[in-house]
Amino acid sequence: MLAAAFFVPALGSRFYTFLANDVAIWALFATSLNLLVGYTGLVSFGHAAYFGIGAYTTGILMKQLGVPFLLAFPAAGLLAGALALVFGFFCVRLTRIYFAMLTLAFAQIVWAICFKWNEVTGGEQGMPEIPYPNFEWIDGVAAWLPFVGGYRASEYFYFLSLVLVGLCMWSLHRIVRSPFGRMLETIRENAERAEFIGVNVRLWELAAFALAGVFAGLAGGLFGIFNRGVFPDFAYWTKSSEVLIMTLLGGMGIFYGPTIGALALIVLNHQITSYTEYWSLILGSILILLLFVFPGGIGGAVAALWRRLQTRVHHA
Amino acid sequence: MPDPSFVFAQSLSGLTAAMFLFLIASGLSLIFGVLRVLNFAHGTFYMLGAYSAYQIVQWLGAGPGMFWVAVLGAALGIAVLGGIVERFLFRHLYGQEELYQLLFTYALVLVLSDAAKIIWGTQQKSVSRPPGLTGSVSLWGATIPYYNLFILLLGPAIALGFWFVLQRTRAGRFIRAAALDRETLGALGVNVNALYTGVFVLASFLGGLGGALVTPVRTIVPGMDTEIIVEAFVVVVIGGLGSFWGTFLGSLIYGQVLSFGILFFPRFSIFSVFALMAAVLIIRPWGLLGRPLK
Amino acid sequence: MQRRQFLLMTGLALLVIPPVAHAQKPIKVGFPMILSGPGALFGEPALKGAQMYVEEINAKGGVLGRKIELLARDTKGNADEAVRVSRDLILKENVDFLVGTLTSAEGPAVSVVAKENKIVFIAPIPKTDQLTAPDKLHPYVFRVAATTTMEGRSAAEIVAKWPVTRIATISPDYAYGQDVTRAFVDYLKKLKPSVQIVDQQWPKLGEPDYTPFINAQLAKKPEAVFSSLWGGHFVNFAKQAKPLGYFDAIKYNFIGVGEAGSPESTKTMGQDYPVGIWGNSYDAFYWDTTSPAHRDYTARLSKFTKEEYPSSWAIQGYIGLQFLTEAIKKAGSPDSDKVSKALLGLSIDSPVGKITIREKDHQANRGQLYGKTAMDPKYPFAIMKPVEYVDPTKFMD
Repeated sequence: MLAAAFFVPALGSRFYTFLANDVAIWALFATSLNLLVGYTGLVSFGHAAYFGIGAYTTGILMKQLGVPFLLAFPAAGLLAGALALVFGFFCVRLTRIYFAMLTLAFAQIVWAICFKWNEVTGGEQGMPEIPYPNFEWIDGVAAWLPFVGGYRASEYFYFLSLVLVGLCMWSLHRIVRSPFGRMLETIRENAERAEFIGVNVRLWELAAFALAGVFAGLAGGLFGIFNRGVFPDFAYWTKSSEVLIMTLLGGMGIFYGPTIGALALIVLNHQITSYTEYWSLILGSILILLLFVFPGGIGGAVAALWRRLQTRVHHA
Repeated sequence: MPDPSFVFAQSLSGLTAAMFLFLIASGLSLIFGVLRVLNFAHGTFYMLGAYSAYQIVQWLGAGPGMFWVAVLGAALGIAVLGGIVERFLFRHLYGQEELYQLLFTYALVLVLSDAAKIIWGTQQKSVSRPPGLTGSVSLWGATIPYYNLFILLLGPAIALGFWFVLQRTRAGRFIRAAALDRETLGALGVNVNALYTGVFVLASFLGGLGGALVTPVRTIVPGMDTEIIVEAFVVVVIGGLGSFWGTFLGSLIYGQVLSFGILFFPRFSIFSVFALMAAVLIIRPWGLLGRPLK
Repeated sequence: MQRRQFLLMTGLALLVIPPVAHAQKPIKVGFPMILSGPGALFGEPALKGAQMYVEEINAKGGVLGRKIELLARDTKGNADEAVRVSRDLILKENVDFLVGTLTSAEGPAVSVVAKENKIVFIAPIPKTDQLTAPDKLHPYVFRVAATTTMEGRSAAEIVAKWPVTRIATISPDYAYGQDVTRAFVDYLKKLKPSVQIVDQQWPKLGEPDYTPFINAQLAKKPEAVFSSLWGGHFVNFAKQAKPLGYFDAIKYNFIGVGEAGSPESTKTMGQDYPVGIWGNSYDAFYWDTTSPAHRDYTARLSKFTKEEYPSSWAIQGYIGLQFLTEAIKKAGSPDSDKVSKALLGLSIDSPVGKITIREKDHQANRGQLYGKTAMDPKYPFAIMKPVEYVDPTKFMD
């Protein structure tokens, strides 16, 4: 599927490339949240904080300090992860609704800082025009490698995003398939029981929280460049709810669920906003439908269908 | 050193803001206390209350007494809306995971706020002060509009009335019991379903009332719901989720921190309320007057 | 026989087809504007002005034989949203040009999108200097609004004549508010060094409750106030400030740039308007110039919007489109590169006089009307009386 994504610019429409780039970055963001929500069972309402921190980090480093992308991008993840570690330390000591409220509080703090710290973050108007990473070296490579040269900067960036998102998703996949991931699922199933058998639940939850923050920060770093501007809205709580909805829409129980959710939501958004301005109404209705009929999300429904078909085949 | 009349004026404006916030937050706290759900849509009920009051004023004209009819009408309308939502939609989610209930309330925000845009358009709307409360009075060097004074008296009056209902009436006892242990209550033969609907209706009434009353002071704009709900969250967290007087105290604190924040550290005033919220959650999660959840 | 018939048919067909082929696709102009919330008070009429111009020019056959199609989108007063809709307009709807944005946060953000996609972007409303500052200027951005420098200095010139020394400011905390207040303060201090800035308040844009800011400002006992709260934001502020005795305390020595004197603002507020303050406006239906063009425009606008007292903001949408179409005509093509060259130094005869976009920084010499508000028996709302047009040319550098 990833290989197919590389051919999107060949379709010729800049809009499709733009759309695909958007989907890729949000897919990473949503999957990072799923590490917390789907795998560890921790519902965070403030995940956009790390997304915003990542975006601002990359933005400030690249635009104001001229740091090259190769350094600015990991910095986004590191700073977001560090802050996730600090915030997470306090959050994991709480449960359920209090946990959610504290994640929200921290996210709003991040937002308030971005919103008011005019000198550093540009305040309300944000930082328009984050430069693209330097792609000039590609022309040199294109001289002796076919298919590589002749694209626009936005397309180079799309390829770069695909590569980076792919790497991150691969890492996340390894993480959830590992013993670490299984431990998280155990904690989700029954945290008390895990405590009884001697597991330091809080430590594992903190680790999950920090990792989720790292990947959200990386997604944010990419998004700031893609969006050609970083704005304080990136950390506002409504952004957190958007990504949460994506995760739910696609299905929390499956690794690629959030990706499906991101694809569905973004494509639907663009389609619907061409015809009407009442996107919220449609989204809300879809969400209600989902909650009542398909709690497993699209991915869940598809998986259930798949299983039904398989048992049919077996019985036949 | 700012002079005392200014300090007085500033704290009054903080108190006025606090009273509006209290009306919304008390409904939020009530729903959380009994139904164990944080209702994101409460801010939207507030907004719809404001729009409804505006609409009724448009229909009835600005004659004497019409404003109060509009306020009451709006609050009742929202109460009915809340009842319908609970009875036909929300009730079916009770067994499910908390996350689903929360997301449902958020979905309501999306649907209802767009419905408001469809019905009333996107321009900002305003309502004039009711005739009779249009002037202001000079008190200790500060000019206080009569309407603000009215709100300052109404807020605690409603709080007291509410407290009376919770402590002294049968329905109030059931509500408090349901907050503590709903299963036993059901086992004792109380119609828990009806109780839940009643609680939702009452909370929606308060939210709609808050929205209707705020219209002469603030303009009605799309987006006022998402802005106010976060403020309400801060208030109930500080005061204590599910605690009635905690919500009152939380509103007061919030109002004062914001008011004086603007005076003493203007750049940090927004930051400080959220920092306060985080601090309370870290140090004493169940709030100043709340009880630990179990 | 058949072949001849066939040739005849083909010949006739060929004669018929070319005129049909001339019914070309329209020239698409994207119009991102605030259409909801407090900013819509100014944004909606701006859109109407643009729509009226497009309707009129299409009735005359369009530009280069092609009709203009205006695609408006709501930016909600949010820079992020403005970027989103602009990119949608360019990539999905394939617009040829962008005219629009209102706030000084939206303008620079969309300018980046225009630059990247090499599409001419004419900003009819954002005022911040940053839009056309040397480090942000690029071939595709043009502005036909006043700048914060022009506005701040015009206001400073007026306030310097008042018998006051203790001045306070209250402005929204974003690019526009910051830049115009700074321009005002700096120029005022040059004109009247004895002036003292005793207080500066910075509520966020879209603040619902101004009372803490109002109280804080009153505590410092200013004699006059400069404000750049605009549109619906000014309306909210004034509604909350008046009952608190704010305007009385400063004896109405208040100047509201951000078009506090515009008919939209005074009309909306009706009896609640603090009559006696100073304000400015881009246009006013009651501004009686000797220009028949202005009277004609006002009459047409009144008819188009079905309003007895038409809005002052329509003019900005109108001249934005006027500049665009004149440039397309001059360039002879709707290609952005050619149009951008045509816009340099272009002058138009607008309903409010001759306006020129200077080559140096793509900025038009667009001044505004300034005046003190007063009640006039002819109208049910306040107007600026006396009102004068302040020529901005001396303030432009």
